[in-house]
Amino acid sequence: MTRPDRLGPLSGVRVLAFTKVWAGPYAGKYLAHLGAEVIKIESRSNLDEMRAYGGVDVDAAPYFLSINQEVLSVQVNLKTPEGLDLVKQMVGQSDVVIDNIRGGAMERSGLDYAHLKAIKPDIIQLSLKMWGNEGPLAYQTGYAPSFAALSGLNYLVGHEGEVPRGMNIRYGDSSAGAYAALAIVAALNHREATGEGQFIDLSAVEAMTSLIGDSLLAWSVTGEVPQADGNYHAEMCPHGAYPCADGAWLSIAVADDTQWAALRRALDLAPSPSHLTLESRQADRHAIDAAIAAKTASHDATTLAENLRALGIPAFRSASSIDLCSDDALWQRGAFRMVSDQKSGSRPIIGPPWRMNPDQAKIERGAPLLGEHNDYVYGELLGLPPGDIAQLTLRKVID
Amino acid sequence: MSKGALAGSLIVEMASRVCGEYCGKLLADFGAEVIKIEPPGGSPTRAMGPFKDGIAGPERSALFGYLNTNKKSVVLDLSLATDRAKLDNLLVRANALIEDSPRTYLKRCGTPDRFPHLVECVITPFGSDAPDAMQIATSLGVINAGGWAYHTPSEAAPHLAPLKGAGRFLPDCEAGIDAALCLAASLFRQRRSGEGQSIDLSEVEVQINRVDAVMGRMLAGEAEPSAARTAYDMGGPGKAFACADGFLYLFMTTKAHWKGLCELMGQPDWAADFAEDWLEFACTAERVALFRERFAEWAAAQEKHAVSEAGQKLGVAIVPVNSAADLPDNVQFQYRGYFQTLEHPVLGQALYPTVPYRMSATPVKLATPAPALGQHGGEISL
Repeated sequence: MTRPDRLGPLSGVRVLAFTKVWAGPYAGKYLAHLGAEVIKIESRSNLDEMRAYGGVDVDAAPYFLSINQEVLSVQVNLKTPEGLDLVKQMVGQSDVVIDNIRGGAMERSGLDYAHLKAIKPDIIQLSLKMWGNEGPLAYQTGYAPSFAALSGLNYLVGHEGEVPRGMNIRYGDSSAGAYAALAIVAALNHREATGEGQFIDLSAVEAMTSLIGDSLLAWSVTGEVPQADGNYHAEMCPHGAYPCADGAWLSIAVADDTQWAALRRALDLAPSPSHLTLESRQADRHAIDAAIAAKTASHDATTLAENLRALGIPAFRSASSIDLCSDDALWQRGAFRMVSDQKSGSRPIIGPPWRMNPDQAKIERGAPLLGEHNDYVYGELLGLPPGDIAQLTLRKVID
Repeated sequence: MSKGALAGSLIVEMASRVCGEYCGKLLADFGAEVIKIEPPGGSPTRAMGPFKDGIAGPERSALFGYLNTNKKSVVLDLSLATDRAKLDNLLVRANALIEDSPRTYLKRCGTPDRFPHLVECVITPFGSDAPDAMQIATSLGVINAGGWAYHTPSEAAPHLAPLKGAGRFLPDCEAGIDAALCLAASLFRQRRSGEGQSIDLSEVEVQINRVDAVMGRMLAGEAEPSAARTAYDMGGPGKAFACADGFLYLFMTTKAHWKGLCELMGQPDWAADFAEDWLEFACTAERVALFRERFAEWAAAQEKHAVSEAGQKLGVAIVPVNSAADLPDNVQFQYRGYFQTLEHPVLGQALYPTVPYRMSATPVKLATPAPALGQHGGEISL
């Protein structure tokens, strides 16, 4: 019943995850994909919403299956004193606890850092909330686009002169989760060196803010408030996405005068002696963009991108979802790969963006069934006899 | 005073792009000793603006100033055997090496196995084995090849160009996080095993990973991948609206959200035309459009901070679309001490964003501003 050794740099690290929806599970996924044993605390009476979206079968929910590969699932009803006691025993066997559940919920269950530290003195606990775990605005709630708006990030995204519409509505949760995983691994290093655990309080708003840190320091140094600026780039011109045949788009970033000359020849743009320098191109960039668009519009984006790259011009097709799903290079490299799936045998997933050598963590198993690892956690980790597990199930402590 | 979570780790950074420098910054801000190896002219980011007083110069770039806090700078000319020998001496002592070009130092010198204890992290646009022609991607190429540009903003009009994201370097920061994560995980392994590891990170794959919940369903055939610009969208009335002093973002999915919003708006007559549970059961494109038209009229007269605070107290996920200038005065940023003042000899005193994690035992502190070119050449024994 012991778990197979999945290898990877975090092999031997055990994480308990009180996580829901996307940001918290994403942090758990990343740790699992680095080799940690991540155990998700679940309950039929308090389900991760992602097990409910997109269908009725909690074990075949599309969103859930798309995130939680190589994560284990144990059922515990935290509303029962016995369930809480069992969870605390699990904490005693763990290195890290993550939560992104409603503010105050961990505290009310006696699962705040002071209590967890009493159980496991070197525990590392990370809490991920929109505004962080405490403070004057900690009561506020929101979703990914809310914290992208609050953070200053969305203000910078939009076509010039229009309402800053921000990044796509899906942007934000996963980035916050990645920062969470990073902070946890840094804390694991500290614990390994000193024996000391700690509490980490992560703000999803600040995660988004940190992604635009350079723009914020620039504001402080220059006094100019950065604005949504379309595809403008101070050091490159032309710099943008241009229409191609069949509704496709091609991104072109011209870094220097040589690339500009090559682009001009390749697209047969009219000679422009007044556009020889970056400064002069910037001054006339809208006209230049229109002239390029007029030339690219009839081209196949993929072919034109290849031709321009062969000339040393950074040109890349703007990928749609069908472009990505059908990209052979991504499949070959393992960016997309197969894992096991309880219902259909196997399932394609998005693999981690890293390769490691040696000792890459194995990623073979899909997201867990609800309670799939009850026997492992209760039997192996907590050492309960099978009869006790059956009793707990009967009394809905395991639900 | 704590020395930071990665105190005692020695990391050599040979970065020429923002992704590598941000990776190094994240680790330096955790207290690692990050030694930045710069070519004689300095890192390319020193030549990128904006500059203090609009005047270019290696110590005048706000971009470089942001990306290199807590680091040390050493200039080496790697075309010289003597300087390569110095770098090798440093790598013998170092725990890790960050690079952001496929032509890595260890490969160029033909001795990738010379430092078996070393963690080597290489960040490239498409992974280190991609064809050379693909490796010329800039940040714009990465965010376009990774799919976020095509799907930004939500409900993108087919005739408007895909967008590069916030600022110039959003995909670089995303890749920097994952690189720092992998590198820190490998350092943890190194502590336990004494062994090094090589990490090959693809910036485009980071972009794709960030949309796992949406794209995973498409790969599995549960949702239809398509050429639609709206393929990542989730429907519903969520959107940014202009208001009296800027912009608001409203997100709504439930009956409770709707009831709270109606109360916030003072129960206008038009709201009665919407069923209480319309968001859950009648959220059609027509309803959304009608709602937005009415709400936009009301929003136009609101002030972003006041209406957001009142809305939040009623359970409505309404927030201001903050600009850079709104952030330092925000009470929650102040409570958490997110911004830190730091004095730089040329940039002067400025407000630096820090990190989104408050760590009880190893709080992150910006101890030193970005180094002058070659500032630490004398003090580091090579």
